[in-house]
Amino acid sequence: MGGKKVNLTQRARRLSLFLRLVTSSFIRRRARLFTALLALGIGATVISGLLTLQLEIPRQLAREFRSYGANLILVPTGEQGIMDVEDVEAVADLIPEEQMVGITPYRYASLSINRQPFAAAGIRFPEARKTSPYWRIDGEWPGRGGEVVIGGDIAETTRLAPGSRVRVAGHRASGGQVEREMTVTAVLHSGGVEDSMLFLELANLETILGQPGEVNLVEVSVDAPSVELQTIVQSIRDTVPSVTARLVRRLTHSEATVLGKLRLLLLLVVTVVLGLTLICVGTTMMTMVMERRQEIGLKKALGADNQAVAWEFVAEGGLLGLVGGGVGYAAGYFFAQLVSQEVFGRDLAPDLLLLPLTLALSMLVAVLAALLPLRAALAIEPAVVLRGE
Amino acid sequence: MFFRLVWGGIARRRWRALLTLFTMLLGVSLATAILNVMLDVGDKFNRELRTYGANLRVVPRSAAFLADFYGLEEGEGVTDKYLREDELPRLKTIFWAYNIVDFAPLLTTPVVLEGVDQPVTAVGTWFNQTLSLPTGDTVTTGVQGLKSWWSLKGAWPGEAASDPAGVALGESLARRLRLSPGESLVLTGQDGVRRTLPVTGVFLAGGREDGQIYVPLALAQAMAGKTGLVEEVEVSALTTPENDLARRAAQSPASLSAKEWETWYCTAYISSIAYQIEEVLTDARAKPVLAVAEAEGKILGKVELLLTLLAILALVASALALANLVTAGVMERRVEIGILKAIGAGDLGVISLVVAEVLLAGGVGGGLGYLLGIGLSDLIGQSVFGASISPHPAVIPLVLVLVFLVSVVGTLPAIRLLLRLNPREVLHGR
Repeated sequence: MGGKKVNLTQRARRLSLFLRLVTSSFIRRRARLFTALLALGIGATVISGLLTLQLEIPRQLAREFRSYGANLILVPTGEQGIMDVEDVEAVADLIPEEQMVGITPYRYASLSINRQPFAAAGIRFPEARKTSPYWRIDGEWPGRGGEVVIGGDIAETTRLAPGSRVRVAGHRASGGQVEREMTVTAVLHSGGVEDSMLFLELANLETILGQPGEVNLVEVSVDAPSVELQTIVQSIRDTVPSVTARLVRRLTHSEATVLGKLRLLLLLVVTVVLGLTLICVGTTMMTMVMERRQEIGLKKALGADNQAVAWEFVAEGGLLGLVGGGVGYAAGYFFAQLVSQEVFGRDLAPDLLLLPLTLALSMLVAVLAALLPLRAALAIEPAVVLRGE
Repeated sequence: MFFRLVWGGIARRRWRALLTLFTMLLGVSLATAILNVMLDVGDKFNRELRTYGANLRVVPRSAAFLADFYGLEEGEGVTDKYLREDELPRLKTIFWAYNIVDFAPLLTTPVVLEGVDQPVTAVGTWFNQTLSLPTGDTVTTGVQGLKSWWSLKGAWPGEAASDPAGVALGESLARRLRLSPGESLVLTGQDGVRRTLPVTGVFLAGGREDGQIYVPLALAQAMAGKTGLVEEVEVSALTTPENDLARRAAQSPASLSAKEWETWYCTAYISSIAYQIEEVLTDARAKPVLAVAEAEGKILGKVELLLTLLAILALVASALALANLVTAGVMERRVEIGILKAIGAGDLGVISLVVAEVLLAGGVGGGLGYLLGIGLSDLIGQSVFGASISPHPAVIPLVLVLVFLVSVVGTLPAIRLLLRLNPREVLHGR
């Protein structure tokens, strides 16, 4: 009982000495401490900053790729060429809301402006701006009814400009002609077929045609990789058989290639930067341990065994790694946030899983950097070191 | 004496000097690699984005409306609805000729297939055409390079007109006709001639092309009776992301001042390339396909900005790490400096000694690091883009400045410390 008590106090004493040694070595060498913390902090900043970006960038960039336009097209199954709006809504429900960028129905018809026939499409303008973000508009997007947008080629040949009043005529499905006076609000440029088409709000076109609730085609822009898109296509086939979903191969195929390359590029750059930075940090830490050979000699001369000295250095390195890693994690997140806002204009949620990883990596580097030169230092006879060799 | 001191300082502490050298080497190779990658990646990425296909469409000026407005059809001397095939090699003679990656002409004509009641659209084009240019060079271009996302079963038809080498079918049409590569089909063109042609390949495009027949251009011209004419040319060009100047120029090139105009003309904006194409082709109108061009500019801009920011982070981190190491290394030498001061070395002497040693390590480490960095960037280029990243000459001065800055700035705190050093205290062992 008594022996155990002595043992306990001895242990407590040893522990307090150990703690005193570790902390006092920090206090005595403030300048060194700063250097070491700086080195570890830089390392941890790079770790957490780059890893955050490595995880986040492909996701953010995938969203940027949606500016190429719709990557999923819905067409009616079979020959009739027309599908119900209700079916389209059923399809829209199958796509997760956070992945849906936009969904634009197209109803095609032949309308004439001032007696000249043109292909026309009834669309929903707010959605079309999401599915076709590359459309360039001279003028204003239509807001109310009775407004029409004309393609650039039409504007050129008919000399119509935003603000012009035109007579738009169309054939009713039930027979007979309808004529409406409308305002041109904008001229649209896309470089594609849209340049020679008319666009008006779907509801407007429906009142002219007198046939509501039907569309010819739907453009959908979904923020998802092509594997997920395939699943969506499959589930549409299973649940809404009257609608056939087609992937726009030009986009899905190219996106996979380009994003894959980008991901690989980032991975390689991040690996190289991380590896080299960690080695740099390691060498700095090693230098700092090596210069303490005299101290080690003194400790050994006073009777400390190799293990005790090693533990002290490991604890010191670990503590430094912990503090440096914590500071670096915050700095790295700050940097990644800066990049994300600068490049994508979006906020970044901190990845809490990276905190233990950053801490562990920087502690590992600090401890390894302490242990490697320590072996050499411990092998040296105290007398030799203390003499100043 | 000075050199002996410097050399002695390095030789005596070989392990330490090696460590400094090693860290310098790593830092510099990191900087070199990332700078090289950054400077070249825009170009490489631009090329990758060309997998999205043509970003320019060349059409005859106001082609679509002649027929609609005036009731003019072919056979009435109207050839301005078409572009001339023999002018197309001129596309590779414009100022930005090297930025034109691929192009292919298109001529569509309805054909009647045996066993199908509705006429099918046949598209005449180049698949893999070798052209000889006015400059004497030859280029190979066509659908094969332009539509990289098409997957082809079999082969593209050959090009010769006299010996029609065959047709390629879109996937859904081939399925409807139950035809596969190797079999043949009978088609009748506008000229009324019945032709039996082998199907050389079936392609999946994922668009309306899947219901069409692709034939050699010469065959389509013969079937449509439009010898030497094409309807449209799709062009894929490497471009620079648009800026304000380019947008203003696209609105009206006349509004630019002479100097602005020159800048615009000599920059690979999509609008200036379009303008130059219009210059060399008769009555042609080159239109940017905004769906591709806009998105491309946006994505390219983001990727470049991203890599620039990453490069800055890497450079700052490596500079700080290096400077830190230098500081740590110099501080360690307090005793040695103390002795030097005690036997009469001046402040200036001490400083130049320290700086010279660091510069020497930096020079050697930096030189080796530069080479290692080039190797690293090449490795990245090879594994990501399958093409080497050429060392950019601008990287050398940047790296030199980096090494110099790191050596000098890194020693500053240490020098301040050394100057305040009291030889007696140091030598006493404190």
